[in-house]
Amino acid sequence: MTIESVAINWDPAFLGLFLLLFAAVAIFAGAFPQGDRRWWTLLGLLALLVIAGTLFPDGWGRRLLLDAGAFVAAAMVWNRGTPEAARAGRTYLTLLIVSLICLTGGMLLIPEGASPPPFPWNRVAVGLLVIGFGLKLALVPFYFWLPGVAATAAPMTTLLIVSVIDMAAFSDLAHLRMAAPWVFADCRTLWLAIALASMFGGALLALAQRNLKRMLAFSTIDDMGYLLLGVAAGPGIGLTGALAGALGHALSKLLLFGAVAVAEARTGRTLTLESRGLAASCPVSCAAFIVGALGVIGVPPTFGFVGRWRLYLVGAEYGGGAFLLAMALATGVALLYYARAIHRVWLGAAADTALPREPKLVAFALSVLMIAVVTLGLFPGVVMGHLP
Amino acid sequence: MDTLAAVPLVALLVGVLLELILGRVLSPTAKGWVAFGSGLTALAGALALVPPIAAGGAVEGMLYPWDRGISLRFHLDGLSLVFVLMATGIGTAILLYCVRYMAGEREGTTRFYALMLTFMAGLVSLVCSADLLLAYLSWEVIGLCSYFLVGFWYQDPAASDGARKVLVMTHLPGYALLAAILVLYDRTGTFLWTDPAIRQAFTGGLFLLMLVAAMAKSVIFPLHTWIPEAMNAPTPVSALLHSACYVKAGIYLVARMYSLAAWPNAWNTAVVALGCVTMLVGALFALIQVDLKRLLAFSTISQLGYILTALGLGTGLGIAAGVFYCVSHGLFKGTLFLCAGVVQHATGTRDLRRLGGLAAPLPNTTRVWLVASAAIIGVPLTNGFVAKWLLFTAALDAGQMLVVLIAWLVSVFSSVYILKATVSVFCGELPASLRDRQIEEAAPSMQVGMGILAVLCVLFGIAPQLLVDWVVAPAVRSLGFLWAGQVSWLGVPTGPAGLYGVAAATMALVALLAGLGAYSLARRPRVDPVGVFTGGDPLLPADGVVDAADFIGTVEETFRPAYRVTDPDPIYLALWGRLRDLAGCLDRVVTPLIEGHPLWATVAGGAAVLAAIWAF
Repeated sequence: MTIESVAINWDPAFLGLFLLLFAAVAIFAGAFPQGDRRWWTLLGLLALLVIAGTLFPDGWGRRLLLDAGAFVAAAMVWNRGTPEAARAGRTYLTLLIVSLICLTGGMLLIPEGASPPPFPWNRVAVGLLVIGFGLKLALVPFYFWLPGVAATAAPMTTLLIVSVIDMAAFSDLAHLRMAAPWVFADCRTLWLAIALASMFGGALLALAQRNLKRMLAFSTIDDMGYLLLGVAAGPGIGLTGALAGALGHALSKLLLFGAVAVAEARTGRTLTLESRGLAASCPVSCAAFIVGALGVIGVPPTFGFVGRWRLYLVGAEYGGGAFLLAMALATGVALLYYARAIHRVWLGAAADTALPREPKLVAFALSVLMIAVVTLGLFPGVVMGHLP
Repeated sequence: MDTLAAVPLVALLVGVLLELILGRVLSPTAKGWVAFGSGLTALAGALALVPPIAAGGAVEGMLYPWDRGISLRFHLDGLSLVFVLMATGIGTAILLYCVRYMAGEREGTTRFYALMLTFMAGLVSLVCSADLLLAYLSWEVIGLCSYFLVGFWYQDPAASDGARKVLVMTHLPGYALLAAILVLYDRTGTFLWTDPAIRQAFTGGLFLLMLVAAMAKSVIFPLHTWIPEAMNAPTPVSALLHSACYVKAGIYLVARMYSLAAWPNAWNTAVVALGCVTMLVGALFALIQVDLKRLLAFSTISQLGYILTALGLGTGLGIAAGVFYCVSHGLFKGTLFLCAGVVQHATGTRDLRRLGGLAAPLPNTTRVWLVASAAIIGVPLTNGFVAKWLLFTAALDAGQMLVVLIAWLVSVFSSVYILKATVSVFCGELPASLRDRQIEEAAPSMQVGMGILAVLCVLFGIAPQLLVDWVVAPAVRSLGFLWAGQVSWLGVPTGPAGLYGVAAATMALVALLAGLGAYSLARRPRVDPVGVFTGGDPLLPADGVVDAADFIGTVEETFRPAYRVTDPDPIYLALWGRLRDLAGCLDRVVTPLIEGHPLWATVAGGAAVLAAIWAF
């Protein structure tokens, strides 16, 4: 079996997700400008490339389109116009190039997919793929571009990177898992170690942040650890859990970054833990942030739980009780940093009571998304039928 | 009957939908009536289930196919019915109380009623679930309802902080339950606890995991410290969630574990020990409170210790005592909280030092309070007396003399703190700060809500067999225990354990008299402007007036070492501090190194990955 011939039966679900994300981003960016006209042009181009890439059969053409989308995203970061954003954009772009080189090299070494090349090329291939996907998905220890991008780019740009570019790359990784299982089976300990390091590293570093967007970036790294675990476990409950987790992650991050975008636009400041009582003026955004946080942590009845319980089960099967405990601890840390953000930034006495409320269209969009996250958690069969 | 079993849950969920859909057009009062109607329909459905379940039946069925390959199934037996009746019965009475209590709220009433009904539905779903994953889902749903309701006045920092503590302290231990469920699934391939394979796979480790989750929900020491902070919620929330129903979810889980495995003695011992420590710690802290709701919160901890102890005895009579106590506590503590709500509504404070003499302006509330107080102390003719009687009898029957002594001691403490609250709030004359205030009795619907619960306290005190025969005995039998439910008028056991029962009653009476004695010894002369209670403190303070706060000094002095040892919050705070330090340290070391030198970090990371691949 070659990589190109693998069935891609979860792509419709991802395509639907991406369409939803682009529509939501357009609504948010319409209400709260995220950049100039060039930003909108880049958004259109990104949407075109990602949707075309998702529709394209698995293979080099698809990879080319999605990588081009990633480069457009880097341009969107750069487009912010500040020196910090330009620096973050440069770093992101450079590492995308390195990632592309590694992934291309790795893929070229395994043209037959299912059967590994002879020693030592099999190990070189695995090494290149780990580095390439590690850079793209911002896994520990290759995450360094993401916090900078999150802190300096517009919230919707960051959202596109973590929920569209990253999830498209993740889908690519899942395809690789199906096509070349030996890449994961031969080095299972390494994949599990990276997953665990991402979970814990991301969670602990998120706890240390005061800037909310940096915190959300580390939370993404934390979440990627769980998703990687599911992919490493392979077809069955692991891969299903990872794909459901990826969908839940993208939806929840949309709520989180949407809420941050509203609050930043209303206050005119970067959100930090020093911000206070924003729920008084932005109640729907506060609710969206809470639901998004619960979704990312995987608390029922959000859709996040549908993927998360499967990943816990995989953790118990593959790593035993100790691994399960470690996963629960990492989730516990995630709960602590999200609870702190909710209660310091959103709830409590308002520092500024004169802020205007959210525009109706944005409030409506956030409400629909919240309902969707909970409804899909109560009736996950609607989505799970489209996953392997 | 299968369709009938779905009525409570469906009625509550329809109520939630109505609240959400009609929220913008209905007044707060109308929303209250909608919620009450929904609760009443659910209660009717639950009551209709009593005859078939009492006859020994159980209802099984499927709710809907939830996830791929997993259908959500329910199993409604005697134990489930107890909690369904509590959720819908006590819940409906409290919703009636809410109609006027929440009428003055300017915003958030849709959210309030939707969450209250969702909570009730969540509890019904939890106790009726045959599927452990659905049980966990419901477990977390009621946890989130508690979180959102505690933070109802989210702009108040105290309410917001209380909600945060509730979320962290109840959600984190919940992962222990999820872990136990997943390990069970891994071993058996099923999520259905009714599957016989579960009994084979259930081990001590899983018991411990589930126990930890139950402890956090049911405020068992040392995971109890969230409940005093939850008292910043609207009072009906405290009544429904933090006395009657939410804290009983853990009790349900402990009781349900009798269905999952045959308990070895060590499990019983552990549960009884936890129960005894909890009842003692809760009562000790209740003694020194000056905030009425915080006092009731610590009292809840203590009472849950009683219930857990009874369940831990592991005999049919013990389970019966636990189940009877569980229902009774829901009734009398719910009533006490509702009365506290009236007091706060009328006076604007819950501080015992600023209250007094409310018997005159709030006569009906006082009567209801006195009935519920009598019940919690264990005065004959109330359900509290029967509950304690059953517990003492069960403990004596099981040869657990130490349990009897501790429970007796805690009964004395309970009498003291309840008398302290009663006298501080209702006796004497109004303090100067309240004399110019218009203090009005609760609205009729609020009085009816409280009154129903108080009447039930007396009804089940005089004729406990009504509750025992129809509800408690089927619950005991559903857990696999043989117990004939031999209880007569006033709670007199008619079985072989009756002799022990008489001894237990004597002890309960002695406890009551000891409490009264402590009160009368310390009582101030009639000329005192506020009928004060010194709790044994013989000295008047400098201002010449002894109040609830002065009494605390003596108690704190006497039990100082105990307070130091039994407060786990400093440990939790230290753990939180260490975790933040660790995160900060990691950030200071790693961030400049990695984010400051991305290319070098890539090279180093890549080299580490390649080295690991070669090493493995």
